Amino acid sequence: MAIEQHDNKTTNKTRLLDNEPVGMTVQVVRVMGDGAFRQRLLEMGFVRGAQVTVLKNAPLKDPVEYMIMGSHISLRHSEAAQVEVTDKDAEFCDMEDAFNGIVETEVAGVDPMADNVLRVALVGNPNCGKTSLFNNVTGAKEKVGNYGGVTVDSKEGWFTIGGRKVQLVDLPGTYSLTEYSPEEMYVRTYIRDNRPDAILNIVDAGNLERNLYLTTQIMDMNIPMVIALNMWDELEKSGDKLDIEMMSRLLGARMVPVTAYNGHGVKEVLQATMEAIDESEQETKHHNVNYGTLIEDSLKELGDMCPQLDRYTVLKIIENDQHALALLDNQDNAANVKIAAAEMRQRIERDYNDDIVSIITDLKYGFVRGALAEALTPNPDRATGETKPGYSFDRLLTNRWLALPILLVLMWLMFEATFTLGAYPQEWIEKGVGLFGEWIGNAMPDGILKDLIVDGIIAGVGGVLVFLPQILILFFFISLLEDSGYMARAAFIVDRIMHRVGLHGKSFIPYLIGFGCGVPAIMATRTLENRRDRLVTILTIPFMSCSARLPAYLLLVAAFFTAKQGLILMSIYLIGILVAALTAIIMSKTFLKHDKTQFVMELPPYRKPTARNATIHMWSKGKQYLQKMATVILAASIIVWALGYFPRHEGQTPQEQIENSYMGMMGKAIEPVVAPLGFNWQMGVSVLTGAAAKEIVVSTMGVLYTGESDADEESAPLKEKLQTATKPNGEHVFDPIVAYSFMLFILLYFPCIAALAAIRREAGTKWMVFEIFYTTAVAWLVSFIFYQVARLI
Amino acid sequence: MTTSAIIQTIVVLGIVAVALVYVLRRVSKTLRGHDKCDCGCGCGKNCKNKKF
Repeated sequence: MAIEQHDNKTTNKTRLLDNEPVGMTVQVVRVMGDGAFRQRLLEMGFVRGAQVTVLKNAPLKDPVEYMIMGSHISLRHSEAAQVEVTDKDAEFCDMEDAFNGIVETEVAGVDPMADNVLRVALVGNPNCGKTSLFNNVTGAKEKVGNYGGVTVDSKEGWFTIGGRKVQLVDLPGTYSLTEYSPEEMYVRTYIRDNRPDAILNIVDAGNLERNLYLTTQIMDMNIPMVIALNMWDELEKSGDKLDIEMMSRLLGARMVPVTAYNGHGVKEVLQATMEAIDESEQETKHHNVNYGTLIEDSLKELGDMCPQLDRYTVLKIIENDQHALALLDNQDNAANVKIAAAEMRQRIERDYNDDIVSIITDLKYGFVRGALAEALTPNPDRATGETKPGYSFDRLLTNRWLALPILLVLMWLMFEATFTLGAYPQEWIEKGVGLFGEWIGNAMPDGILKDLIVDGIIAGVGGVLVFLPQILILFFFISLLEDSGYMARAAFIVDRIMHRVGLHGKSFIPYLIGFGCGVPAIMATRTLENRRDRLVTILTIPFMSCSARLPAYLLLVAAFFTAKQGLILMSIYLIGILVAALTAIIMSKTFLKHDKTQFVMELPPYRKPTARNATIHMWSKGKQYLQKMATVILAASIIVWALGYFPRHEGQTPQEQIENSYMGMMGKAIEPVVAPLGFNWQMGVSVLTGAAAKEIVVSTMGVLYTGESDADEESAPLKEKLQTATKPNGEHVFDPIVAYSFMLFILLYFPCIAALAAIRREAGTKWMVFEIFYTTAVAWLVSFIFYQVARLI
Repeated sequence: MTTSAIIQTIVVLGIVAVALVYVLRRVSKTLRGHDKCDCGCGCGKNCKNKKF
């Protein structure tokens, strides 16, 4: 393999990718930097000799869309500056030289029914159609399981073929099986620990070069594998021709053309998988990538020292992979193996004059390219740098001038549909819950049990149910946006703005939804792949003022501000955005620092979303919401009810009852804490009951000031009572400063129970507790500064 | 206080207690738990790939 030597500085012959103009096609020399970011770029095809075309700048100039190996990748300028490139025709390296063919490994026969379950794992790149295939095979009966917190989802389903029942496991989409991202670790640990009877490797037939890189890693695991060439119709449309038989021979695995969304080829690929499982009962010869004499000798030598490990793990030990090395810990000769591996690594790096990760990645891509050179005939009419079909909408949707207006209109439509359309079923559910409560109330004799059932349980569960229509509509839209490929474009368009506060462009949509309701917004963060981004977004969403807080603002603005009411209201929303941005910046710079893997994003081709997938997605999220959240909400609602109900004193008015309840006592206990903000104990109690749902702030004030529990923002007596309420010393309780301070506190203090439960579900209890304290501290501080400064002025 | 009221009070307090225990158990489970690695491999606190 002819590799020219490069030092660490950019030479005259090479340049940095971020300096290349739009339309330019160049050749990758190397990726600088280290760690996860570099690994991700290598996996995505930024390997020595690969051609990259600069397609376009985002409307805000950053990031930039590049085409590599037929895929469209978005990179920020700062990231593109890590890629060293040269002229596309420069002859410094021929990747096909890296093609050494295959080596064969003898694999002993296994009994696929040893654990009484036939198990097939679906493995493939993100967005290659795995879930479409999974849903097609298993129907809508999949069980959604969550592992390792909420970072990685895998789904299990069953299908029957030839009278045999088979478990199909849909693993998270991954570009490779290294140790840099949660999905990679999950997939590789799953395969290692569960040893599925076969792997069904789904590859995007229109993007074989990049997709087969993962295949080369699976090949090393020596598990029977069948390759589903998904989106075969797109390959045929593109005019490329693939010799499936030759490719299957080279990879040592059956390849079956499939079009998952319409079911074409699905039966055949399942049949081929079963045949592969049956063959594995006898000793078989397994194909592996031939890495050349030096590495192959090292693999053999190290493999002999630890015979219980498969070829994949041995290679990872040579690559100094920490998880693979940890597997040696219980082995007697662990120290010797590690020393030998380190020596081999040094020898290989010296010989190839590169680092081990790049060498192995180059060799794997070299193998893929060599195989494709034999079996794939590209459409001769397509010029270098020309995009494949499926990207034509980008001319409009990521257009420099039209992209932002189109994005805003689409977001507005989604927002409107979710909250306006969703308001109708929400109202029906509210009415239904109300009628049910009334019916139970009439049917049951008065007493404590009736109060618990009607005011605690029915009202509590009703509080969960009312969000369901919004959740379903929202996830239907999100599914359409994701399936069509537009979600990635939205992130591409706004990434620059979000990057300023240390976030990814994809955080934009959950924030927007947060103005309607925090619960679906927090759930919508699932579209963010990076856990750090998700956490920062989840923890800052509650600062986006949700619609439930609006009644309190409307009441206070109407009562205490006679002029510029709209501006006052808008300032509250803007302060929320500002606090969210500052929080995100602080978190990104302190305890939630950047993980560089997040920046590289693939822009998939546009595809027609299917109603079936959107419905499955919507229902799956709705079901999870009902099952997981109702338990938490129910328990919390009962506790809140009990705090406001006990202790009981006969003959008290509702005002006296709440004043003397544990909740009232808590309000009085916290009075010294809220007094510096200008609040009295009634406002303290309103804030506490508002924990259940923000709308309750107004109804609690109604109870405390007027004795009406059904008070709303239009209640004239409440408005008047607030205006005329006085302290024991005769001063007014409320004035514009107190009202604004109170609004600031309502805007920023801890989210309602439903949102907290969503945070617990999505981020874990630790972060939910953090959020309670953090938001309350911020609310107190902001209100305190405002109140004290305004009083001085 | 009537027998019915006493029974109702016991039932309600029982329900409240169950809700309280449920919430407290959730909290205590978190407090007792260790800092899990988020890499997703599932090998727990000894995971050498300590992420996040």
